[in-house]
Amino acid sequence: MHIAANWLNSYLEPGNLTPAEIEAALIDAGFEIESQEKLPDGDTRFDVAITSNRGDALCLVGLAREAAAKTGRKLKSPGTGGKEKPEPAPASEDVSSAIKLENRVPQACPMFTVRVIKGVKVGPSPAWLVRALESVGQRSINNVVDVTNFINFELGNPCHVFDLKKLAGSELVIREATEGEKLLTLDGKQRVLKAGEIVVADAQRAQGLAGIMGGGESEVSSSTTDIALEMATWDPVRVRSAARRLQIRTDASHRYERFVDARTLEAASRRAASLIVEVAGGQLLKCVLNAGAPAASPTVVSLRPERCAKILGITVPQDRIVSILKSIEIAVQPQGNALQCTIPPFRPDLTREIDLIEEIARQHGLDQIPLAPRLAVSVKRPQDRVRARRELSAVLGGLGFFETVTFSFTRPERAAAFVSTGLSTIGVDDDRRGEEPTLRPSLLTGLLACRKANLDGQVTNPGGVRLYETASVFASGEGNAAVEHRSLGLLMDVPFSGKTATLAEKQEGIRSLRGAIEAVVTSLGGTTVASKLDIRPEKPLSAGFEPGAFATVRIGETRIGHFGLLAAPSVKAFGLDQPLVGAELRVDDLLALYPPRGSITPLPEFPSVERDLSPVVAESTTWADVSRLVQGVGSTNEGKRIESFRFIGTYRGKQLGEGKKSVTLRVVFRDPTRTLRHEEVDPEVGVLMDRMKTELHAEFRGV
Amino acid sequence: MLDLIDSLEKNGLAELASASSSDSLEAWRLAYLAGSGKLKTAMAGFKDVPKEQKPAVGARMNQVKAALEQAFEARKLAIASSGAVPQPFDVTEPGFVSSQSVGRAHIITRVIAELCEVFGRMGFEVAEGPELEDDEHNFIKLNIPAGHPARDPADNFYVDDPRTTAVPRMIRSQTSTVQVRVMEAAVKAGGGRLAHPIKIISPGRVYRPDTVDATHSFMFHQIEGLYLDRDVSMVDLKTTLLQFARAYFGEDAEVRLRPSYFPFTEPSAELDMKIRLRPDQPARWIELGGCGMVDPAVLQHCGIDPEEWTGFAFGFGIERIAMGRYSIPDIRLLFENDLRFLKQV
Repeated sequence: MHIAANWLNSYLEPGNLTPAEIEAALIDAGFEIESQEKLPDGDTRFDVAITSNRGDALCLVGLAREAAAKTGRKLKSPGTGGKEKPEPAPASEDVSSAIKLENRVPQACPMFTVRVIKGVKVGPSPAWLVRALESVGQRSINNVVDVTNFINFELGNPCHVFDLKKLAGSELVIREATEGEKLLTLDGKQRVLKAGEIVVADAQRAQGLAGIMGGGESEVSSSTTDIALEMATWDPVRVRSAARRLQIRTDASHRYERFVDARTLEAASRRAASLIVEVAGGQLLKCVLNAGAPAASPTVVSLRPERCAKILGITVPQDRIVSILKSIEIAVQPQGNALQCTIPPFRPDLTREIDLIEEIARQHGLDQIPLAPRLAVSVKRPQDRVRARRELSAVLGGLGFFETVTFSFTRPERAAAFVSTGLSTIGVDDDRRGEEPTLRPSLLTGLLACRKANLDGQVTNPGGVRLYETASVFASGEGNAAVEHRSLGLLMDVPFSGKTATLAEKQEGIRSLRGAIEAVVTSLGGTTVASKLDIRPEKPLSAGFEPGAFATVRIGETRIGHFGLLAAPSVKAFGLDQPLVGAELRVDDLLALYPPRGSITPLPEFPSVERDLSPVVAESTTWADVSRLVQGVGSTNEGKRIESFRFIGTYRGKQLGEGKKSVTLRVVFRDPTRTLRHEEVDPEVGVLMDRMKTELHAEFRGV
Repeated sequence: MLDLIDSLEKNGLAELASASSSDSLEAWRLAYLAGSGKLKTAMAGFKDVPKEQKPAVGARMNQVKAALEQAFEARKLAIASSGAVPQPFDVTEPGFVSSQSVGRAHIITRVIAELCEVFGRMGFEVAEGPELEDDEHNFIKLNIPAGHPARDPADNFYVDDPRTTAVPRMIRSQTSTVQVRVMEAAVKAGGGRLAHPIKIISPGRVYRPDTVDATHSFMFHQIEGLYLDRDVSMVDLKTTLLQFARAYFGEDAEVRLRPSYFPFTEPSAELDMKIRLRPDQPARWIELGGCGMVDPAVLQHCGIDPEEWTGFAFGFGIERIAMGRYSIPDIRLLFENDLRFLKQV
């Protein structure tokens, strides 16, 4: 909204605010000054930002009212400045003999008024009018049109003038457009309307787009002598949707989108008519035509000063409250403990007590609200979840992972590769997302895209790039119900030395990622929880993972995620050509593990004996099979000295034969009461070997 | 021609069904879909089709092409997930920790953690809410009723068409949705009325279809605070914000409120802070976000009696602070996640 200092001052008594004072007053009242400009004649033009609830402030009088209230000045009504003449006496001819008016859509047009002036002389505007419009950046067109622009700037009531002789049937009909109806608007463009959009028409065709722009065919021209002056109000939603669809934004539509109260029309129409007669001559016909709903009765809001004090935290004295409300033209009547406040028609935003409390806060000044020396705080227990997040960041950082924040959208085909079986993807209904409208079902899409960006940037990192992200992922489940959960995504390079990665190197990559998952679970849940970590080889849940190199992750029976080697095609889809391992874990389940717990076993008093075993087993025999067997033996009397065992490595080679591998494990034996002699564990080792031979079909080389 | 296409489809699908390994699947792909495959060969014959038959034959050809491609993808997935091909990987082997460098949390996460810590000291608890929301929580309960300009599809990412869906889903445009979720949950826990004060802070991602440039992104982060209690006033709001500003930005920070308008607070204010984003800079006024007293309509929508409870809410952007602190010139750097950038901040 453009305003000028001189024009604003013309409504103030005394009208002597400096530009700096105007700026301060408006900012203080809640109107941001976006820019200001010194004009050649010494005046100052401001561009003022008006919040969407304050349609009333989209005009000079509205802002003058705010400035007057803030600076303790008096607001002068328009037309009392001295240079305008008193309202002209109407002609004896009645307006109804000159024009007919029909409003078929009162829900879209709550009120439409018409005045008629005959015998105007269209020509240049007087200097004061040209200067006023130019000071707010408007070009003068002719005296009649300039008045309508002036009135819109002055009062915030858009108005329009028709050339009466160009209106077929001398009538105005407010109606819905028919589908495909054409209208030539003032800007010379042919508009094709949709059914339901509102037009102001004559007997034959649309002559204006309601609340947005007038029509070109009934435009005022130099030959115009008789005019019909429209002053109306429109449903904001209909104005907005038509303006959006047709991509027209005018001062009128901007104003109507913020609601113009029907009760403000009469005064504005009278003022416009008298100004037209003043600058263009002619005779105003008697009376006005109205079509619409009856004007609403004034809104009365009850305000309790006590409630105001409760919200603001300070007691604004009652006489100050009354004077603030009066300064913005609210009539106040005390009644018991409350004030009955009658709201002026130009403030339809004030309907509740809290609205008035805001007015008091605004006018009294938010800087008047004091600061307390300290806060009263009830101390709460730290949130485990918050601490757990910090721990998660710390452990992943230590493992060499960099956190990323990537966009939640992806391409449909990328999403498809990572959506779990049984779920489908979900996207936004918005072409502005272009190729990436899908809400990602997995963080791996973001991490892979990010990995590719780093590759393009020739980024290297010792041990390879490791990335993680915690964010929501989205999918659609049964019955189209949306599923959103917070996920932790991990993506790791698989380091390799040759041209391509060997199976052993990929297996190292899988173990390395598994190690990260184990470390996360142990850090968050402690050894008690870590002992319940259950990693099961399974069929991949999505095409993104390599079959045979995929596992689900459970804590006890709760599945919290999965990990594995990413399938080459799904990696290629991101422009990557390297082995990568990835994991996705449910963040909520992970954070719920916190705080870590564990139980302490006393440290041993006597040394242990360690033995390495290297059974040669079939490729299909997993470490889990071996591990289960050793655990089984250890839990019986035959293996009572087995304290623990651990994985050392897997070896494959020609001498072992196709489909065979050698798994080395180290078994630790201990007697809690004395030092074991080396040969004492031979029988237990023998049991282990025998059981492996029979149950795992293991062979032992060189034994 | 149509017969040829029919048999191509029939045989193709039958042969595909018998492909049981990735090798035989690849052989099938070469035979049918590849450049010199049967499908391309058949398509080459299209030019000899009489003109009047071309539309029908063309349509059928496209149909079969789509059918074969679709079946191929489905088969590929089926074979991949059947586990039929044993791989020499063993995911049951224990993990090990290998790390040759130290990573770190993202600057956005770190700023959020810092903010949560400072507000945590003032008694605010961290609350989270969904990003996939509905217009009930993103708008209606926040006092943004039907027809309000903020709900325009041009300014939001809707999942469902808001013109045809009663309660359309959308990805949230503001973290204020969490306020509503928390208040609803508290009222539910209180058996239909609010029994305890609420004091929460909720950081998170929000989405708006802004054109991406150096300072705008269609996805960014906000942090939102809400404090509801008996007798919470604007004095508490201002004091809380000042205490925060001094604790986070330094002892000389100042806070200024300017009247403004938000549908979910009243009185509403713009929140300015005079701060140094970096210790080596002079303090200057920065528009940080918005705040105000929770609008009674919002409380009522959540089943809370505004006569018994009053409260304040505030919110501001995270990126602004992160970028200021590290003199990050372009918001896009935050989301590109180039390691060379991440290592610097």
